[in-house]
Amino acid sequence: MLNQGFMMLHVVLGVLGILLAVALFMDTLNANEGHFERTKKISLAVAVCMVVSFLIGGYWYVVYYGHDRDIIKAGQWPWAHNYFMEVKEHLFFLILILSIYLPIAVYRNVPFTDKKKRNLILGISALIILLGLFTEGAGGIISKGVTFGLMGR
Amino acid sequence: MSKLMEKYTAGFGLSLIVTSLLNAVVLIIKETNNSVMSAMKAALGHHWTTHGAMIIIVFVVLGFVFSRMKIEEKCDSQKILKFIILATIISGVVIAGYFLPNLKVAGSGIKY
Repeated sequence: MLNQGFMMLHVVLGVLGILLAVALFMDTLNANEGHFERTKKISLAVAVCMVVSFLIGGYWYVVYYGHDRDIIKAGQWPWAHNYFMEVKEHLFFLILILSIYLPIAVYRNVPFTDKKKRNLILGISALIILLGLFTEGAGGIISKGVTFGLMGR
Repeated sequence: MSKLMEKYTAGFGLSLIVTSLLNAVVLIIKETNNSVMSAMKAALGHHWTTHGAMIIIVFVVLGFVFSRMKIEEKCDSQKILKFIILATIISGVVIAGYFLPNLKVAGSGIKY
């Protein structure tokens, strides 16, 4: 049960991080002095969600995933682990450092004063959203790999 | 208001570029070299944990080092963004490409 709880929390925080990155993207597109404080808080929330999702997902991966990996590899979709998990676990490092960089870029650069500074925040947010969507999709495929593995038993 | 980037944004931006590329390089090295893989497993109990710790430490340390190097006087936000996107694409393609042969199942391609 704890195993499932960790997994759910990892996914929920990852999705929340992506949604907050979308909110930040929109906030920066419509940047003005009035809601800069909110923009700063959202950027920090993206970083917190992604870092906590990384820590929980990492703990789950190291402690619990071995059993699921064996099921996937013996099942009909072994590539769910061999490809999608391998790619996901390494792409997550990119999301992690992009997310940690995001509040540094927002707090230290007032995004509504200069188009180039605003574009930096838009670009970082877009990368987090795109990589995040890929890892969520890969997570779904890995989960399906376990289902197909169990069905074949 | 100055058009120059703030020093930590520039420094950590450059660190992000270097660390993104390093991520792909470490992956290739550990996957192709058994002794490196074994050393990474031995260091923190799992190669992925060691890989993650390395990436975070390098990102933070290089961020502070580059922040003292007046990067903001040499390039602007647009240039940093271009290189961040480029480094992310290169790292992503290397990672996705490296594992591409794993999509094959017993030489028959994807099996449903």
